[in-house]
Amino acid sequence: MTKTMNYYPGCSSQGSGIHLDTSLKAVMGKFGISFREIEDWNCCGASVGHICQGHLPVAALSARNLAAAAAAGPEDVVSPCAACYLNTHHTNEEIRNNPEMKAEINEALGAVGKSYDGSLKVRHVCEVLVKDVGVEALKSKVTKPLTGLKVAGWVGCQTVRPFANTEAGGQWETYDEPSFLDDFINASGATAVPFKAKTKCCGGSVAVMSPDKTLELIKDILDEVKASGAQVVATPCPLCLTNMEMYQPEINKRYGTDFNFPVVFYSQLLALAFGMDAHKDAGLHQGLIPADVVVAAAK
Amino acid sequence: MSTYDLNFARWVYENVDGGDKMALCMQCGTCSGSCPLGAQMDYGPRKLFMMVRAGLKDKVLESNTLWNCVSCYNCVVRCPRQVPVKYVLHSLGTAAVRAGIPAATKSDNARFARAFWWSASKLGRTDERIVTALFYFSYGLSKGFKMAMANLPVALGLVKTKRMHIGAPYMCKNKGELKTILAKAAEIEARHAK
Amino acid sequence: MSERKTGVYLCSGCGIGEAVNMAALEAVAKSEFKLEPKCHALLCGDEGVGLIRADVEGGVNQVVVGACSSRVMADRFAFNTAMTIRADLREKVIWSHPAGDEDTQMLAEDHIRMALSHAPKVKQAEPWVEGNYSQRICVLGAGVTGLSAAKEAAALGHDVLLVERSSELGGHARLGSKRLPHKPPYDAPAENDLADLIKAVEGNSKITVKTNTTVTKTAGMPGKFAVTLSCGAVEDVGAIIIATGYRPYDPSKLGHLGYGASPDVVTNTQFEEMLKAGKPSRKSNGAAVKSVAFIQCAGSRDPNHLNYCSSVCCATSLKQALEVIHADPTANCYVVYSEMRTPGVAEELYRTAQKAGVIFIKGAVKAVDGDLTVHVADELIGENVPLKGLDMVVLATGMVPNSTNPDAAAQEYGQEQLNADIDPEAPIKVAGYCGEAPATVEKRVQAQPPGGSLLNLQYRQGPHLPVLHDGFADSHYICFPYETRRTGIYTCGPVRRPMDWAEAVEDSQGAVMKAIQAVRSASAGAALHPRVGDLSFPKVNLNQCTKCRRCTVECPFGAIDEDEKEYPQFNATRCRRCGTCMGACPVRTISFDNYSVEMLTTQIKAVKIPDEFSGKPRILIIACENDAIPALDMAAIKRHGWSAHVRILSVRCLGSVSLLCISDALSVGYDGVMLMGCKPGDDYQCHFVKGSAMAAERLSKIGETLKSMMLEPERVAQVEVSIADGERIAGVINTFVDQITAIGFNPFKGF
Repeated sequence: MTKTMNYYPGCSSQGSGIHLDTSLKAVMGKFGISFREIEDWNCCGASVGHICQGHLPVAALSARNLAAAAAAGPEDVVSPCAACYLNTHHTNEEIRNNPEMKAEINEALGAVGKSYDGSLKVRHVCEVLVKDVGVEALKSKVTKPLTGLKVAGWVGCQTVRPFANTEAGGQWETYDEPSFLDDFINASGATAVPFKAKTKCCGGSVAVMSPDKTLELIKDILDEVKASGAQVVATPCPLCLTNMEMYQPEINKRYGTDFNFPVVFYSQLLALAFGMDAHKDAGLHQGLIPADVVVAAAK
Repeated sequence: MSTYDLNFARWVYENVDGGDKMALCMQCGTCSGSCPLGAQMDYGPRKLFMMVRAGLKDKVLESNTLWNCVSCYNCVVRCPRQVPVKYVLHSLGTAAVRAGIPAATKSDNARFARAFWWSASKLGRTDERIVTALFYFSYGLSKGFKMAMANLPVALGLVKTKRMHIGAPYMCKNKGELKTILAKAAEIEARHAK
Repeated sequence: MSERKTGVYLCSGCGIGEAVNMAALEAVAKSEFKLEPKCHALLCGDEGVGLIRADVEGGVNQVVVGACSSRVMADRFAFNTAMTIRADLREKVIWSHPAGDEDTQMLAEDHIRMALSHAPKVKQAEPWVEGNYSQRICVLGAGVTGLSAAKEAAALGHDVLLVERSSELGGHARLGSKRLPHKPPYDAPAENDLADLIKAVEGNSKITVKTNTTVTKTAGMPGKFAVTLSCGAVEDVGAIIIATGYRPYDPSKLGHLGYGASPDVVTNTQFEEMLKAGKPSRKSNGAAVKSVAFIQCAGSRDPNHLNYCSSVCCATSLKQALEVIHADPTANCYVVYSEMRTPGVAEELYRTAQKAGVIFIKGAVKAVDGDLTVHVADELIGENVPLKGLDMVVLATGMVPNSTNPDAAAQEYGQEQLNADIDPEAPIKVAGYCGEAPATVEKRVQAQPPGGSLLNLQYRQGPHLPVLHDGFADSHYICFPYETRRTGIYTCGPVRRPMDWAEAVEDSQGAVMKAIQAVRSASAGAALHPRVGDLSFPKVNLNQCTKCRRCTVECPFGAIDEDEKEYPQFNATRCRRCGTCMGACPVRTISFDNYSVEMLTTQIKAVKIPDEFSGKPRILIIACENDAIPALDMAAIKRHGWSAHVRILSVRCLGSVSLLCISDALSVGYDGVMLMGCKPGDDYQCHFVKGSAMAAERLSKIGETLKSMMLEPERVAQVEVSIADGERIAGVINTFVDQITAIGFNPFKGF
């Protein structure tokens, strides 16, 4: 099977989430799926863009990306990042369902002679793995199972909200009890431990700007990680990963805890289990908290 | 003492993103109960919505509720009346900034948003270094410096692990095109804002 | 009745034959009653029934069946030319007591004795049918309810006399704007289609319409009412439907909600008329209405005003707000409520109003100023917030039932009727209650709305329809919703309970069905609910009557008048056959063909009472057939067994229990007596309104008698049982048996 998809990597792919991009491309390559990056893509606005701008300028950001994707080909747009996926999806749905929004967005695009009619489908990479690749296929590529590694699968919030179990979102997961991440972890040969904070929020961008408000949220999640007996946390979300990594020292200082959990992307686990290079392909050397325990598990 | 402003609710229904659906709120409190930062809010979303209906405009726009939303969408997916609570809160936040409410314009969120938007609109990409630096120094030089120093270990860690690059920021090639689109969008947006 | 020929049939099916000794049961019939019983292993099967039917064809005219409870297989054991008496060997014997046990056997034998002992005294009931009966139905009130009732009754082939006090048909609906939604999708105000209804009534030849007319006098009984109209005419009708609707609660009592403070504070009824007239404008200055507050529960759900929820005001305010917004989309509407009550599909209208931007404020109104500022203690915000700049305040005023005619001169609720119509709320002193006696309730004055009686009934018990404290005429709200306490007279629409247009139309259909049943049953001499089809009726032997008037006073349905010599005069078709008169009569001269004090005491005495050395007490339970007996059957079905020392006597109603039954039981050696009946009081469940209350009142007088007999008053008790008490009832019995055992054996035993 070979397949090309419109790929929207998002800004984190060039920064704190660079190892998601690397490992994901390695994993997808195993299944003949190649990502065609949207030409000259721009930022989606994440969850703060609109505050001083209002709704339409933020929607215009996504619309420019969608127009560029549609110009490249009719293939589905996939994104690995929760916020990129959500914003792009939301704008796409508005263009499809709200004629007034569609007109206004196209008026903005029209200023540079472009347009977009809502013809593309916007998907999260995980949905592609679940539906187009399939968990059984993932298992079939495993050559070095991560046997014995105990992993807490932390989905976070936006990856499954609000679209995952809507018709528009492809109905591939539930809001509160998603199972795909545990399936990925188990496919790698590791063990997904029962974990109560699966869809708990880390504070998102508020954690970046006002950590005082949100440290407790991350601490509550870490408490659950500890209670679950996991050695490592796996997540699909770049912001979740960075927030949890970078605030563990501060949390330990403030709450007298001793958390030191490595946080990795599910795609890093898969790449490693597929027998690929732990550093070059899986990016497992790029954690702020070293993930040696993961690398050691691959046999 | 506050009084009911007979027109505020209608204004919100008509002008705020998701406001039309807010009219259907039945005050069940699922949103407030689901909110991870509910405890830190001046009022939970349920009460805030009732205050909108009552027309307590100033209290609504001054409340920190608008700035404590972390966009987790618990409320959106759980609301039995399909009120897009998150969008309503953020849109009210925009209204508060536009109205020049000091509590809004000086909020962490507004500062961060301005920094973020600068990077996103001028470069076409979010450069984490630029966004955080603009954000920190929006509080003034000395506070900004303290904040930056406090985050230095993280930044160094990211640089060390090659998750933060050194050198010129990444940016869109066709920044002019982006600028034109965004200017047009802002112009259309301004037509709505009365 | 021709010569009595009794056949006895015993069933050994359903395990009866394995649990008790059938031969011994047969022996009881043979040796004690000289009757030859026939046994069958499946009496309710075709073969078993065939066996009985052959005997009936051969001349047997009384069938005694010893099998299951009388509540089952009644149709199998019904025969045209023979009456049936049932002895329960299944539910109340083998399903509730251990098989093969000595006490169970004694119980089964006593059930046979009870049935057979009173069988010779039971007569085939002969109905009372006399003279001419009218099939015509009188409908009082020509609003939506009355018009619908008239239309329905005519459609079912009955002539209708429709009486309306005003000059026009239509009632409140005539003055109303749109109506509440009544068709899918139920989400918007609907067109007022009253004109169609009026046309259908006016064009119907079976309906005689009398406007500007009231009823000045009503005499007679179901099937034979003589209704005198204000025009002087006297009309014969068979049944009466009261559809007099409601009047809005007097707004002058709503000063605390601003009524009178400004001409722009109006009631929902007044606002409705403004909407009907077109786009509403301020009464004070004629300006357009741009913002309106609707204040809910204006007078309703307020202990100082109307105690009850008027049920339609919330939906009506929603409708009115939508009409305001429809006329002017920029108008602001507020609904101030304590709870929005939008039962059933009215929720859809609520949603529409929310979508349309109506603002709902939960909280109490503290004051309404002359400038229309409404001060609300907003519960959802937790502050007092004034609502300023309103153009109009609409009070969602509640409904008061027209249980009286507001135009007619007020009549006192006759003292006679008050006494007669034992207020179900009146404090009832209950002797020997199991556990703590219920607290006595202060007697509330009957809350008759002002005005004269609707029908001016020429009844011994007064001209009014008895009402409950809220002013609604009633007779067992749950089981018989349309009945009043005057047989053959039915209420429907808002005079029965607050309701809207569509509900009133449906309600009128229910009342019409009841009225038709009444006229048809009356002419056949058959009873109405709950003893439907019962042909027996109370007969009095005037030679023994002492003119004490207890029967005329205690009858729950005003069925008994007094003739010029002050003897009781029974109006058979008004009677519901509960037997309260029979229980009340101190000289026991009132009886039915198939039900009498003598028949009851015969059964009581038929039970073999073991002597005190046996260690086997005997306790009599007198149980209401409407609720207690089914509850016992349910307990038996679930195998919640109870003491085998108990003997159960089924009665039509505790009201029919004469004190003689109790004193007879104690004098023949029963150790205790327990009455099981329905809940009395405000929310009574007695099928005959006050039978259990009457029984309790009578019991309160037995304490002294017991003391004079040197018996402990605790030996006699009354308990409340509902039909749903199957899980609890066995425990109640066993507790009582333990109490009696603790007191010790009745010293009269063996006398």
